[in-house]
Amino acid sequence: MKPVRMKKLKAVILDEKIDNVVRNLHEEGIVELCDLSEKLEDIEWKTLLSPSSSADYVRNVTTLMIKAGRILDMFSSVSQKETSIKDILNPKPVEKKKVSFNSYQEVIEYAEKVLNEISKEVDEPAERLSELDNRKSKLLQLKDQISYLKGLEFDLKYLGPGEYVFIGAGSVPKERVDELKTELDKVADGYIEVFTGNEFEKDKKIRVPIIFITLKEKLESVLSEIRKFEFERYDITDVEGTPSEALSKIESELKAIESERNNLIEKLKALAQKWEKELLAVYELLSIEKERGDAYSQFGRTNRTYYMEAWVPARDAEKAKKLIENSADGFAFVEISEPDEPEEKIPVLLDNPKAIKPFEMLTEMYALPKYNEVDPTLLLVPGFLLFYGIMLTDAVYGVLLTLAGLFMWKKIGKVNEGASKLGYILTLAGISTIIMGIITGGYLGDFLYEFLGFDITKTPLALVNPLGESYYINSNSPLFTLGSISVTNGPMAILVFSIFVGLIHLLIGLCVGFKENIARGNTGDAFINQGVWIILILSIFVGIGLMFAGASATIAGGIIGVAVLLAILASMYKGYKSGGVMEAILGAMDITGFLGNVLSYARLLALCLATGGLAMAVNIMAKLVGESIPIIGIILAIIVLLVGHIFNFVMNGLGSFIHSLRLHYVEFFSQFYEGGGKKFIPFKANREYTTT
Amino acid sequence: MVDPLILGAIGAGLAVGIAGLGSGIGAGITGASGAGVVAEDPNKFGTAIVFQALPQTQGLYGFLVAILILFVFKTTATAWAMFAAGLAVGLAGLSAIGQGIAASAGLGAVAEDNSIFGKAMVFSVLPETQAIYGLLVAILLLVGVFKSPGSTGVAALGAGFAVGFAGLSGIGQGITAAGAIGATARDPDAMGKGLVLAVMPETFAIFGLLIAILIMLGIMFS
Repeated sequence: MKPVRMKKLKAVILDEKIDNVVRNLHEEGIVELCDLSEKLEDIEWKTLLSPSSSADYVRNVTTLMIKAGRILDMFSSVSQKETSIKDILNPKPVEKKKVSFNSYQEVIEYAEKVLNEISKEVDEPAERLSELDNRKSKLLQLKDQISYLKGLEFDLKYLGPGEYVFIGAGSVPKERVDELKTELDKVADGYIEVFTGNEFEKDKKIRVPIIFITLKEKLESVLSEIRKFEFERYDITDVEGTPSEALSKIESELKAIESERNNLIEKLKALAQKWEKELLAVYELLSIEKERGDAYSQFGRTNRTYYMEAWVPARDAEKAKKLIENSADGFAFVEISEPDEPEEKIPVLLDNPKAIKPFEMLTEMYALPKYNEVDPTLLLVPGFLLFYGIMLTDAVYGVLLTLAGLFMWKKIGKVNEGASKLGYILTLAGISTIIMGIITGGYLGDFLYEFLGFDITKTPLALVNPLGESYYINSNSPLFTLGSISVTNGPMAILVFSIFVGLIHLLIGLCVGFKENIARGNTGDAFINQGVWIILILSIFVGIGLMFAGASATIAGGIIGVAVLLAILASMYKGYKSGGVMEAILGAMDITGFLGNVLSYARLLALCLATGGLAMAVNIMAKLVGESIPIIGIILAIIVLLVGHIFNFVMNGLGSFIHSLRLHYVEFFSQFYEGGGKKFIPFKANREYTTT
Repeated sequence: MVDPLILGAIGAGLAVGIAGLGSGIGAGITGASGAGVVAEDPNKFGTAIVFQALPQTQGLYGFLVAILILFVFKTTATAWAMFAAGLAVGLAGLSAIGQGIAASAGLGAVAEDNSIFGKAMVFSVLPETQAIYGLLVAILLLVGVFKSPGSTGVAALGAGFAVGFAGLSGIGQGITAAGAIGATARDPDAMGKGLVLAVMPETFAIFGLLIAILIMLGIMFS
């Protein structure tokens, strides 16, 4: 019920052997390295050890990674992978490449070899491709600009500086052309000629292309003047012929480029097919090496040794010790001790049996327990499944959910751990829903009654009817009668059950909290925070039990009243201790918080009704449509049924999940759980494409 | 005596009308933030839809109660129970406004960091409690769980008002939840304390529910 006990591992290792030690620890993945850099700031440590930096080979590895990454990017840009729905629904696990390297040199050598080989084949077409792309974008720009010069029939090769004159091209807004001409004439002392072409529209403005010819000496003043007229300059170089000739030339060149590009892409696609897997494996090997090299920066070092500290689960401590000693051929000194740091620094690793391990994700979503706190996962499982079932309550929806869960767990879960866990949880929740659905006689709501005239709530097949009386619970045979209240129908029965379950649930939480507080030695807190509420819940049970046994309501009320008073006094005392009279008055309000917690479980009934009720609404609508519209009515009815029920299933499936979680996070956890632990992150090689 | 069907029809109208008003505003608030998120990253469309679905459930509850009144319980429930049921689920449905605010904050947080999805979802769903209480009281009234004058006569309106107006606490809760989502996004460990703060406004919804149940039980008629 507690997170895994941890040990602190301290080791001094000879520098020659450190690479091997790090490699083996990384493959095994059982320790979490501690970053010593902060500790080494301390003056006493400083005299013993100097901080260590990442291993030297990391730089080589990084260079290779960049190279591999660039090729991978190129591969993914040429071959857009089509992920079919089939692949998403039934993904194939990646084929793993088997590797065995004993040192970083071997990995680097191997990576260099593979990358060179790939480069040899890929570099040339890839370079050519990027050349073509550059040329293409330049041509497209030229094409764009030249197309504006229509109506100016001259050879484009003359554009730019000549021996004495400069010829420039561009465009200005139509309404400013005349003004421009006179102004330019002024600044160039008449040594300028401006020609205009056919107007065109760009960005919702009418513009006119112009060519100007001026003496080179006047160019600077012309250019500075012309800028004032929203002049857009066209830089056209390396083109010959009139604009229309040039355009057709560019067109044909673009066509040639396009076909060459397609060829190249086909070629690169084939290369990608051939090399991608290999390259991914190499990239992964390199990143693993990098991680190892970077780990050095967490160590401390002396002249010839490295000093490391690590967290290791107690059960693996001996194994880790042996591993280090063996990988260092005995040139290492390892010491294992109890944690020597405050609770919040010790990493938390949850340890639950396989059957409930996936539920750890629900605990983690709230917060990991602190190192010495109780792990609530086991406590959460039964309540979560029960509540989920009660809230969804429909056998058919349950079957759907079970199938969806199995699918996620077994198929998608093969490649995605999160999906596998969620799938497992949903499968169990689905089974719980089927059971609850059978108990309440919910099969797509009241489908059987609406369409087949079979009212299951009147038969012995359904235990309770969430919307009224059933065979077992009706006004002739009430479930029980207490004072003036008799439970004669489904909603009342489920409401009573919900509140009862809520009280039990809170009681469990309170007892765990009580035990925890006692174990920590806070007997006072245990009594004020949990004890009084435990007494209150028990006295409610006793009081009501006595009423069943025939005692009068006054006695039961008296017992409960005393407990309520006790609880109020205790919470006032608690408030008084923490902040005086005002807090004490506020503390008296704790009783409403308790009441709120209990009544909150009434949502079990409400959501149970919501699922069944909405399913019924869908059925009624479908029936109306089917009966009121001739011929196609049946088809429409089926559509209404399908869409309606899928919608209801998804909405309420999601709602049940979250409300079930909420009852745990808000009502249950607040009785005993705080959380806030730091996750145990093992120093472990993450292999997706390779295996050893 | 008024024709029971007239009051039933008014109840159905209130149920779907007021709850629809709340859901519409709530979904609109979330939708606005969804549009912003999708503009930045079109892949987030699915997430936006999920969060926008949350404040729509209130409208759905209203619709459900309207259908139940019109087709199922029109003959068995009393006129005032139908009217009060519509009031309860309708007014409580206004909590969708708060849920919309919370869901929009949740969506914003998830757009930045996918891993916070579960937490954002838990916070966003908090202001739904009020609507669920409204639905609960509506169904209890319609089914006729309690036979006292408090749930069959005009007094039933009191129950509807109690749970309905107390359900407006959902708006406050939504605002708190939105803040708590922001806090949790910055510091995941703030979740527990954020939840405690965010469920505070629910106290009043619980008072409302409690009084509604007491009225329906007919505590003052005996």
